[in-house]
Order: sequence, then structure tokens, then C-alpha cells
Amino acid sequence: MSLKLDPTTSIHRRLLILLLPPLALLMVAGGFADYRASMVFMRTAYDQSLADAAFAQAALLKVVDGRIYAQLPLQPQPLAHAYRAEKFYYSIWGPDHILITGNPQLPAASAGEGNLTYADAWLGSHRIRVVTYRVATAAGVATVNVAETTSRREAARHFILTSTWLMDFILVDSTLLLVWIGVRYGLKPLLAVRGQIESRSPRELRPLDTTEVPAEVRPLVDALNGLFEVLREAARAQRQFVADAAHQLRTPIAGLVGHLELLTQDPAAAELESRLCMLRDGMSRVAHSANQLLALARAEPSANLADRFQDTDLVPLVERVIERNVDRSVKARLDLGADLDAASVAGSAWLIEDLLGNLVDNALNYTPAGGHVTVRCGGGQSAPYLEVEDDGPGIPEAERGRVRQRFYRLPGSQGHGCGLGLAIVEEIAGLHRAGVTIDAGAGGHGTRIRVQFPALRAASQGKTANTVTP
Amino acid sequence: MRILVVEDNDLVADAIARGLGIAGFAVDRAPSAELAATALAAEHFDLAVVDIGLPGEDGLTFVRRLRRQGATLPVLILTARETVAMRVEALDLGADDFLMKPFEQTELAARCRALIRRANLNTNGQLNFGRLRIDVAGRQLRIDDKPVELTGREWLVLECLAFSAGRVVSKERLQQTIARWDQAMTPNAVEVYVSRVRAKLADAALIRTVRGLGYRLDEPEA
Repeated sequence: MSLKLDPTTSIHRRLLILLLPPLALLMVAGGFADYRASMVFMRTAYDQSLADAAFAQAALLKVVDGRIYAQLPLQPQPLAHAYRAEKFYYSIWGPDHILITGNPQLPAASAGEGNLTYADAWLGSHRIRVVTYRVATAAGVATVNVAETTSRREAARHFILTSTWLMDFILVDSTLLLVWIGVRYGLKPLLAVRGQIESRSPRELRPLDTTEVPAEVRPLVDALNGLFEVLREAARAQRQFVADAAHQLRTPIAGLVGHLELLTQDPAAAELESRLCMLRDGMSRVAHSANQLLALARAEPSANLADRFQDTDLVPLVERVIERNVDRSVKARLDLGADLDAASVAGSAWLIEDLLGNLVDNALNYTPAGGHVTVRCGGGQSAPYLEVEDDGPGIPEAERGRVRQRFYRLPGSQGHGCGLGLAIVEEIAGLHRAGVTIDAGAGGHGTRIRVQFPALRAASQGKTANTVTP
Repeated sequence: MRILVVEDNDLVADAIARGLGIAGFAVDRAPSAELAATALAAEHFDLAVVDIGLPGEDGLTFVRRLRRQGATLPVLILTARETVAMRVEALDLGADDFLMKPFEQTELAARCRALIRRANLNTNGQLNFGRLRIDVAGRQLRIDDKPVELTGREWLVLECLAFSAGRVVSKERLQQTIARWDQAMTPNAVEVYVSRVRAKLADAALIRTVRGLGYRLDEPEA
């Protein structure tokens, strides 16, 4: 059988397609064979009793003066009590086709091997079974025909057919069910591996658990784990490089920023003030970028921080971030405030602080003097969230997707920034399985960025549970 | 007020020295832990600013040695490499504050002032903040050497804010502080007392409201 299966067909389906139809055919063929065998036995048994009747008739033949006579009364005794509904017929012919007695309409079974032959025939509207016994007498060959109607045989045949069919039906069904269950349970370890992979966050590079992996899939899982290892190592090296580079940059940057800050305030350099201011701002941006690169390196998925997540209260965290930014907001003539409600998440406190720091940083950078920036948290443990709202110029709806990309900045945007802020926010939110939504603020003005964290308990359960629900 | 800056990078050390000098401090520099130890043994300093990444003995080891020898002067740690573990270690070893490079000069100066203020409070019960002279033990406030009368609750509000000068004090904390005197204190009452203190301080100091969080005692804006 050449079955063309799409290579992507699931193994489950493939096994069922390959097993079920041939099995079903085999079962039906087996049933048919059973039926045939039973029919042969039944027919032989009934024919035998019909033959007995023929022998009995033949035994009553007498030859007188070269002529054959049948002794009367002639009644096929063995059959009489067997089945009342059955009708019996007989005829006895002498040599030269002379009817000795019986029904002349009764056909004879054609001659064959031996002197006992059987045939199915019709008598009027009755279907009959005829046995013909050719018996040699002193006066030549007499032909004894005995026939019965077939209602008994029909009933037996019907019974055999029904019972075989029923048995077959039960067998086929239960076999199919067993195959289906077998395939399902046989593939369970494979599904468990699939579940293990599916339940992981795509950023997770932890090796897969191989303790319950079947031998056939083991090499595949081992290869995957090898690949994870390589990726982990590469990510670690990259992170290390970025971190080292950022650290190396920080000390000279600190010196340059310090001097430029002092120079811009130095009366002796008053003539150069505008140029020094440009230099200072440029240097601040370099410093900021170095910090951001470092934050990004720390937040990379490979850092595998999910393992070290702890229950974190967002309220003191927000307070710290706001406190750090009060001076900046005063300088920029912005009203930085908070609206705090209980909120706890499973996460890394300093990463979330980085996240919020970036959101506040953006809001302070892009909101013009006189504006308001409000940081909110709330949602308790079931739907904890962080939110930063400003009444600045806002982000046009079309740009809301792109501002999340690294190094992307809004066209014509003012203020410091290297375009990493929201990328870092996205990265950290992703690690915490939190969703980031960008909207307009109250009344359609400004920007409102909300980070919606998963429920505290559900998040910590999801980390440990590797159970698969098929 | 004299500060010892222990930093091996000349560019950074020079910027810090100049910045703190402009902020009104006398500054000495030491490029290594050994030289810093010599300087501290010879003369009095109010504060040490110590970089972690020093050649030879590193900053953290230096601070540990200082504390073992019984030195009580406040220490502010500077670092280019920030990890949570390092921050915890530094504070455990006896450092009083921790600042990441790069930093703003004004931020560094503000932190230095706060550290010295706290140290003074510990040694002589005096808290100086800009034009304010707060005698904690004697419960007396002087502005430009003129005594200012405060009621009991007003005094508690000022004390609470001044102990954390430059940091935000939550409304709840103020409420709890005053509630020792009056159990039926409401958040609104806190606002009343804060505005009374604000009025008495006039232009000598600023009690800034941080919306939704609390209050912060700042030096008046220039």
C-alpha cells in the first residue's frame, strides 16, 4: 500500500492512518471467513439428515419380477418431528425414467461423483434443497429424490450471519479504540517534551529536563540542549562584553561630565558658555547611553533572571524612583507626583526600577515646562500595574509601535535620549511577562504608558509548573 | 568642612575636587589607599569620597580597614561597576553612601552635605541646614542666629523633615510622628502643621510638596 503522507502530518495522525484502515479490513475479512466456515458446517449437518431420509426411502424399495416397488406408506420419519414448518417432498424413479412414486415435479440433483448428490432448486415458489440417491437394485438403478424447503437453513444462516456480524462489529470497534488509546498513550512522553518546550518563555535558555524523555527523542532533546548551551554562552559573552565596555567608559565619562559641568558654571569661561553647554549635553548623552547599554545588557533574556524573581512591593520602588527624580523635575519646572495603591509582582526589584526609571526619564525629557508627570501603581496582587502619565506632546498613534525599537527616536523630538529607553522597558517587561501599552493620557493629551504585570501567584506558579495539559 | 577624595583617575579626581571646592568644601586628594591612610592619620577630615577601583588596595578593603581601626568619619563610595551585591557589601562594610559614575557635581555635593550634616548631628546634636541652625537637644531653631518659636507639633514636623533633609518624607510618617501627641491626627491636619512650619521658615528653607508622596526640606531656590 503506497500511502502518501505529508511529512508534516502529526505522528498521532500518521499512526492512526497507517493502523486503523488495514486493521478494520482485516477484522472484516476475518468475520467473513468465520461466517463462511460456519455456513459450511451448518449445510453439511442439514444435508446429512436429508441424506439419511433418502437412505431410509431407498431401504424400503423392493424388487418384484424385475420391477421396483416402493413400500408404503412412505413418510420421511427422521425429519417429521424436527421442524414442523418445513415441507418435505420425495420422488422415486425407476430405470428408464418411470416414476415409481412421489411428486413428479421434484427435480433431481444432477449426477456427480459418488451416488449421493445435492442441489438447490425451486419447486413452484418454494426454494428447496434436494438430495438424490442413486441406488442399484436387481432391476437396475433407482433414483430416490428427497427434498425439504429451506426455512430452517435460512433461519440458521440468518442467526450465524447476525452473530458473526455482531461479534465482528464489537471486535473492530474495541480494536480501533485500543489502537487509538495505545497511540495516544504511546505518544504521551513526546507530548510531555512538547509541553515542556511550549511552556517556556521564548527567551528562556535553560536546558530541557531529559529525565522523562523516551529514547527515540533523546538525541533530539540533547541536540536542543546543546544549542541552548551555545546560545547561553554566546549571550553571556555578549553581555559581558557590553558590560565591560560600559564600565570602562564610565570613569572617563565621569571626569569629562564633571569638568564640563564646572566649566559651564565658571565665570571665566562665560564667553564659551553656549559651546560648553553643547559639549556638556553631548557628554550627558554619552553617559546616559553607556548607562542604558549596561541596563540593556543586564536585562537581556539570557540573564535568566526569572529564576531569581522575588515578591516585590511596587510602592516603595515607585517612591525611590520618584525621589531620585524630584530634583530634575524641579529644574525642568515639572510637577512630578505619585498616585500609589498596593501592588506586588514577582520580579527583580532593580530591573523594575530600571524600567520605571526609563519611563519617568522619558516623561521628564519630553514634557514641556509647567507640565505634570504622574506615576501610578496599583492592582494589588491580582492585576498589578505601573503607569506613567504625562501631559506632554504625546506619541502619535502611528509611531507607538516604532518607539519601542532600539535607537528609534520620534522625528523632530527634543531633549536627551538615545532611543534605548522604551526598548529597555520592553525588554524588562518581557522578562516579567508584563504587557506594555502606550496610550494618550487623560483627555487625549500627552502619553500614558502602562505596564501590566501578571498576577503575583499565577506568575510564580507558572515558573515551577511543568505539567502538561494535553 | 574638609573632604578627602581618594580617586586614582586624575580627570575624575580633579573634577570632584573643583566641584566640591566651588560648593564650599576644602578638598584634599589622594590617588591611592596607602596615601589616603597617611593623610587621614595626620589630619582631620569631615568626609572621605572613595573610589572602589583603586590601584593596589581597593576601595572596599580600604573602608573595611578604616572601620576596623575605629575611624568614624562618613565615607561615600564611588563606583563604575554597579551590582546589587556590591552596594550591599559596601554599606555592610561601613560606607555611608554609594554613588554611581558618572554623576552630577551638584548631586555629589548634596550627598556630601547630607553625610556631614548627619555626622554632626550624631556628634554634637546640632543640625545645620542652610540658614537653619537646629539644636536638637535644646529644641531650638535659629534662622540667621535669630531664635524662632515653634509649638510642640511644629517642632516635630521640622525635626522629622530636617533629619531627612533633601529626602522625601512621607505624609504617613509625619502623621505617625505627630500622632504621638494627638491620637486623632488626620492627613489634613498634617497639611495644616506643614504649612505653619512653612510660614515660620519663610524664605530660609523650602518645604517642597511631592504630590502623592510627601514633603522634602530643600534649601531655597536661588
